[in-house]
Amino acid sequence: MAVDAAVRTAPAARTGGRRLRWSIGMLALPISVWLVFFFIVPFGLILWYSFGDKPSLYVTHSNDVLSLDRYVEAVSPAFLQTFGRTLEISVVGTILCLLIAFPMAYWMATKLSPRRQGLVLALVLIPYWTNFLVRTIGWQITLSPEGFLSEGLQALGLRDGPLEVLYTMPAVQLGVVYNYLPLMILPLYVALERMDHRLLEASRDLGANAFESFRRVTLPLALPGIAAGMLLVFVPLMGDYITPSVLGGAQGGMVGQMVAGQFNRAQNWALGSAMAVILMLAILATVVIFALVARLVGSVLGRVQRVDLSAALPQQGGAR
Amino acid sequence: MPEKSDVRLLLPASMTGHVSRRLFLGGLLGAGATAALAACSTGSGSGGSGGSGELNIYTWGEYDDPDVLSAFTKEAGPKITIDSYGSNQEMIAKLVAAAGTSGYDICLPTHQYIPQMAASDLLEELDLDKIPNFSNVDPAYIDQSFDPGNKYSVPKAWGSTGYAYDTTAIPRELTSWADFWEVAQNEASGSLSLLEDPGELAYAYFFANGIDPLTTDEGHLEEYRKFIVEKIAPHVQTFESYPGASITGNARILAMAFNGDARAGILENEDPDRWRYVTPSEGGNLWQDNWVIVKGAPNVDAAHEFINYVLDPEVSLKELLYIGYHTGIKDIEQAAIDAGAELPELIFFTPEQTEKLVFAELNEAEQAYVDIYDELTASAGQ
Amino acid sequence: MTGVRTDTGTTGAMATAASADRIATPATAAAAPTARKRRRSLTDVLIAAWGVLGLLFLFFPVIVIIVYSFNTGRQLRSWDGFGFSSYENALSNPTIVATIQVSILAAAGSAVVSTILGSLAGVALARRPSARWVGWLTLLLGLIMVTPEIVNAVSLLPWFVDLSNTWNLSIFSIGQVRLIVAHSLFSCAVVTFIVRARMAGVDESLEEAAADLGAPPLRRFLDITFPLMRPAVISGALLAFTLSLDNTVLSSFVSVAGSTPWPVYVFASLRATLRPEIAAVSTLMLGLTLIALALVGLVLRRASKTTGDTNGGLAATLVG
Repeated sequence: MAVDAAVRTAPAARTGGRRLRWSIGMLALPISVWLVFFFIVPFGLILWYSFGDKPSLYVTHSNDVLSLDRYVEAVSPAFLQTFGRTLEISVVGTILCLLIAFPMAYWMATKLSPRRQGLVLALVLIPYWTNFLVRTIGWQITLSPEGFLSEGLQALGLRDGPLEVLYTMPAVQLGVVYNYLPLMILPLYVALERMDHRLLEASRDLGANAFESFRRVTLPLALPGIAAGMLLVFVPLMGDYITPSVLGGAQGGMVGQMVAGQFNRAQNWALGSAMAVILMLAILATVVIFALVARLVGSVLGRVQRVDLSAALPQQGGAR
Repeated sequence: MPEKSDVRLLLPASMTGHVSRRLFLGGLLGAGATAALAACSTGSGSGGSGGSGELNIYTWGEYDDPDVLSAFTKEAGPKITIDSYGSNQEMIAKLVAAAGTSGYDICLPTHQYIPQMAASDLLEELDLDKIPNFSNVDPAYIDQSFDPGNKYSVPKAWGSTGYAYDTTAIPRELTSWADFWEVAQNEASGSLSLLEDPGELAYAYFFANGIDPLTTDEGHLEEYRKFIVEKIAPHVQTFESYPGASITGNARILAMAFNGDARAGILENEDPDRWRYVTPSEGGNLWQDNWVIVKGAPNVDAAHEFINYVLDPEVSLKELLYIGYHTGIKDIEQAAIDAGAELPELIFFTPEQTEKLVFAELNEAEQAYVDIYDELTASAGQ
Repeated sequence: MTGVRTDTGTTGAMATAASADRIATPATAAAAPTARKRRRSLTDVLIAAWGVLGLLFLFFPVIVIIVYSFNTGRQLRSWDGFGFSSYENALSNPTIVATIQVSILAAAGSAVVSTILGSLAGVALARRPSARWVGWLTLLLGLIMVTPEIVNAVSLLPWFVDLSNTWNLSIFSIGQVRLIVAHSLFSCAVVTFIVRARMAGVDESLEEAAADLGAPPLRRFLDITFPLMRPAVISGALLAFTLSLDNTVLSSFVSVAGSTPWPVYVFASLRATLRPEIAAVSTLMLGLTLIALALVGLVLRRASKTTGDTNGGLAATLVG
């Protein structure tokens, strides 16, 4: 708008504005070059490898013959099984994170004074200053069958034998929920903290009970936070291979480990590349579907809500 | 626009955020503190990381006495950095992928991989003139078929693969690979640790079933695949390269292990008698790890110097006592026993046991081992 | 989500948290206390209990690590006795000290690179939201954010090897360079989104006025644009630094012997012998960070009263 005004009033400014426009666009050039060179090209490289094969023991890949055979090989029963397990851990993990984080974020955002909020927020973040891997090792120590938790439970008579959780799928599930929980709490908190409390009062004044207010006011307002949190948790979870390596043992293997294994053990870059491409596509598809669903839900909820409250708000004003 | 009383438009409002200076400054200070920690700890460390004076060794876990390493740095200068791997496949994959840019000077492949590694241009030729202590090595361990004339390698240590079990959980006496696989499916189910090594698992099956461990017969491999994927996979708790630590912590009741690692784990256990190591009666895989210099090594001279250093009989004895593997130096066995080595039966084998050990060879079955291993890890523990 | 961002496509949800400043709202915290005067209901108590339990959960493994850092045994997992030997050993272990130095250097390097690239791109995106290249760049940044680390890792390694061997760019055989480049990719995207969010709410007319008055582009940038975006730049840099310090997967693939970063060292020792030194170093790092945070908190307590910083911004920033 400012440019338009300038153009109309001063012809001399027109060239200045255009130069400004051009030079500002150029600011995006370095990052584009950087990312194309270190992200797109390398990804293109493994896309290319994925159409080749592994010709001999110490040769990692060859593209002499191009085919889709590696993809056929990649979707072996073993891979699909691990993939299914990964998807299960990721979906369950995301939902558990949401269920644990929502009341926490709600408590932080609505039940605490601003000063306390800052303190609690810092408390949520402090564990994050300890390395991801080290925190996971903390769980490994805790869950080990000869660890303090196991011995404590036995001493209290709560368990007959040693704790048998480490190196099982539940251990991985616990580990990922723990590791990604703050990524769910933060966006939920952001969404809830900015919520206008007068809306809740209004809905109470209008006779809605607590549950009704929650469902029709709090939840829709938290929706962007929920969507952001779910994505932030789901995506890295699908590709995680540190948590299962530390806590999973033989049982909790995830697809990230399989991809890594092709590169750092089997030296089959062609197959590993095909697996990586499949993983990438699966995540993209999930994210796109999720975004579409979230948008749909959001717009439906928004429409319903708009009708209700645009009628309600003037009355609230009157009630005061 | 944002003022309009429309809930839909309040959504973006709910996402408003300002940058908190407290966080940023706090974080910056935190970063500074960490840097300060690193800086002050450099002072107390030995420091002096001159570019040319470094030696990077890529080796098996816990494979050198730390005192030996620091003594070398003190005597000769180069600062040593150790990285460890869990299997030959992992080490070779890293070297192949890096194609000469790995930055490692020395690594320790098991004998059967050396011919292929040399052929794939992964190894530097040794200059034996720079390793006068090579003459200390028992002739039994030099000039072997995998490296005639020791062009690329000199022996580091040799040992065998067996297994250890917790006698409180498995009171009966186990003696063979057949026992191992049987217990694995019964008492040890869900508390079983297998080596993270595709070849070792195959050998253990072949030994148990009286099949030549070096078989390349497809029928045998298929038999093995079926057995391990269908019968054993459900009982595996974890795959480890070094189960010694879990032996120490009684984390599992049955673990396939190398003799030296099992010995270290048992010695560390608060009740060493709780664990028993078995050198299986059918025989076992005999492996020999060897010092080699990596192609493209940044510090070839220091690498030679170090290899020479560890072949000194006294240094070698220290290494042996720490790692629990025979180092192949002349008369080292007597020296170790004189020095009071604990559990010597886990370091040195009787002639009858030695007779049954089979020197592994790399053959066409290798790819099958790896493929079967991948299938095993994917279906384990279900 | 509906009203928030439509131009970011699949990453919309991620960007939402960061794109906060776009719509300025008066803080609603003032309205909150009146709502909170109500008598504490059972639900409130339950929610507060849940929140406290959640915090305990987050701290649990960190406390375990701190306690076990005083283990005098040879293995971290098996408790032997109480003592400070692990601290002495850690600080006199040149390998550990070297890995921490590598990590800090890589983190600083990737923070610099991603802050420069991301800030420039953020400004460009905020100022030219309708240019033709915006869609492509946003897609590129979004792709980076949804790519699992393991896929990035396996594609970067062969590319670095190619660059240094086939193209003779020996700079890419230096471990530190590889780490900085690899860590910068994700951080670039994060910084871009944060800076864009900040700059989207700022009027461009100031710069145009300067241009009309004949100020050269660099001068305009330093005198006007940069001061406006400084908070976002600082937060982006900090986040990039933290992300790099924590990175294990990319580092373990691309790192070169002699420049092993701290998390890769921890990951490797996990497979051989995990010693109490690792817990000791983690505890020291956490302790120093906390002391620094507390000092800053004290110093800024007065300052923050006037600046009106909100906790929501803190969370939004961390979420990226």
